[in-house]
Amino acid sequence: MKINGVTIDDTFAEAFPMKATRIIITAMTLKWAYRAANSIRGFASSVIACGCEADIECELDPSRTPDGRPGISVMLFAMSTRDLEREVPMRVGQSVMTTATTACYAGIHGSERISLGKNLRYFGDGHQISKTINGRRFWRIPVMHGEFVCEETTGVTRAIGGGNFLVLAKTARHALTACEKAVEEIQKVPDVITAFPGGIVGSGSKVGSKYKFLTASTNEAFCPTLKGQVKSELTDEIGSVLEIVIDGLNEAVIMEAMRAGILAACAYGPGKGIYRISAGNFGGNLGKYHFHLQDILK
Amino acid sequence: MSTLVFTLKNPPEFTLDVSPLTPDKLGGLSSAQIRKLRLRYGKQEIPVDRLFSIAGANPEKIRINGSCDKLTGIGHGMKSGTIEVHGHAGDFVGQYMRGGHISIRGDAGAWTGSSMSNGRIDIYGDAGDYLGAGLPGDIHGMSDGLIFVSGNAGDRVGDRMRRGIIVIQGNAGNYCGSRMAAGTIIVLNRAGKHSGYGMKRGTIILAKKPRHIIPTFRSCGNLKMQFLRLLFKQLSEMGSQFEIFRKYGPEAHRFSGDLASNGKGEILILQTIRTGV
Repeated sequence: MKINGVTIDDTFAEAFPMKATRIIITAMTLKWAYRAANSIRGFASSVIACGCEADIECELDPSRTPDGRPGISVMLFAMSTRDLEREVPMRVGQSVMTTATTACYAGIHGSERISLGKNLRYFGDGHQISKTINGRRFWRIPVMHGEFVCEETTGVTRAIGGGNFLVLAKTARHALTACEKAVEEIQKVPDVITAFPGGIVGSGSKVGSKYKFLTASTNEAFCPTLKGQVKSELTDEIGSVLEIVIDGLNEAVIMEAMRAGILAACAYGPGKGIYRISAGNFGGNLGKYHFHLQDILK
Repeated sequence: MSTLVFTLKNPPEFTLDVSPLTPDKLGGLSSAQIRKLRLRYGKQEIPVDRLFSIAGANPEKIRINGSCDKLTGIGHGMKSGTIEVHGHAGDFVGQYMRGGHISIRGDAGAWTGSSMSNGRIDIYGDAGDYLGAGLPGDIHGMSDGLIFVSGNAGDRVGDRMRRGIIVIQGNAGNYCGSRMAAGTIIVLNRAGKHSGYGMKRGTIILAKKPRHIIPTFRSCGNLKMQFLRLLFKQLSEMGSQFEIFRKYGPEAHRFSGDLASNGKGEILILQTIRTGV
């Protein structure tokens, strides 16, 4: 299969069940909401070592936020509800509460819930105030900028992590240009995030390693410098490979995001150094969800 | 199915306890059974159809037409459904209510929403004393839910209230929010004397500066309160009668008290005060 002269490999992306939550961060200005959102999504590229995967989902105008201020929607994914319960309150406490003028609210309202302000309230040292409005419980924690308002809990939902595709290009510059555009298109799809820095993975991994203490190591089959040295997936003209990993709330949104991203990358074509699109998988034995590239692009 | 309508044939001479006429209690009963239900009327018990003509069949939606202040216990302990009252209502509207919606197109008596734990009561008229308060013997007053009064409310609004929101568009009487344990009371016109007397926690929001604040409250100054942004935005999305909250901003003069009690309550005056009071 070829799109705009770019070869689409007959392969699939292998993804895993995860748990996800969404939080809404508001602040006096969008700039300061971004400061908090960027802080909470820091060091959250992969569950391999970060505890969770997180990214900004979208900006929210004041009419769409609980308190009528500009806001940012952030989604956080982890392998279990327990992992989210550990990561989310800690990140909200250190990244959101510490950012000037912010407030933090639940963005998913399911029955399964994890703490948000439930334990952060103790920072108020006895001066915290609980308020229930329209069935939702909030904590008012007196802080030096005024009041940090935080919803008590946020909902958790089933999700999928690890939808992906690889962009095989002539040089790193060509790959990066196409991937930047692909991420831009993916960000228009609701309910998905691309948690790696800038949405792009520069060092895609395989499961396991020759070293027993490592659970993941470099994906040598796609490393251009090892083309003649290992069993490589790369042909001579490929000089750089970048990966885009997508986490989403269901299969449909991941497929939509993959399709949007691949088409955006393919639009550059071989003339601009984009030769092939492939995907990362583990032989189909590890992940519950298989996203076949050619099916998605039909 | 159409709304179950009870129309009062003649104004009752004595107090009539209509607490059995709730969506939960009437669910599963036939028309004949509903007609023969017995209500306390003064010292005696009488069947429903002696004082009401009955039409419709859906007990989830009840309407009481021609109501008057002799009808007590409307929506007592109800858990779901709606009750719409055309006319005045007596005491104890929505007492121990646990869910659903009561709407009164007239005045309501004392103890409206007393000790309710959820649901919503809208009164398009005035409310009597002890709105959302706790009955003697109950540990707390209202413990969740929402009460809206388009007119004025009597004394002791939210006495011993524990959670929930009371919104009064008109005036509130004396001792508004007395002995509150928590919750929120909003008065959009004047409140009487001794607001917040003995309150331990909770919030009383007064749109207009009261004539006096009891001396056991301390000024915390004029502030922009993030909580008010949240509260007003959330309320303004809860029905057309709350759209008025769009015009209020986060600025308030905060008083904390009652220092003679736990002292963690607050009175927020939306009309900010230039000099300390």
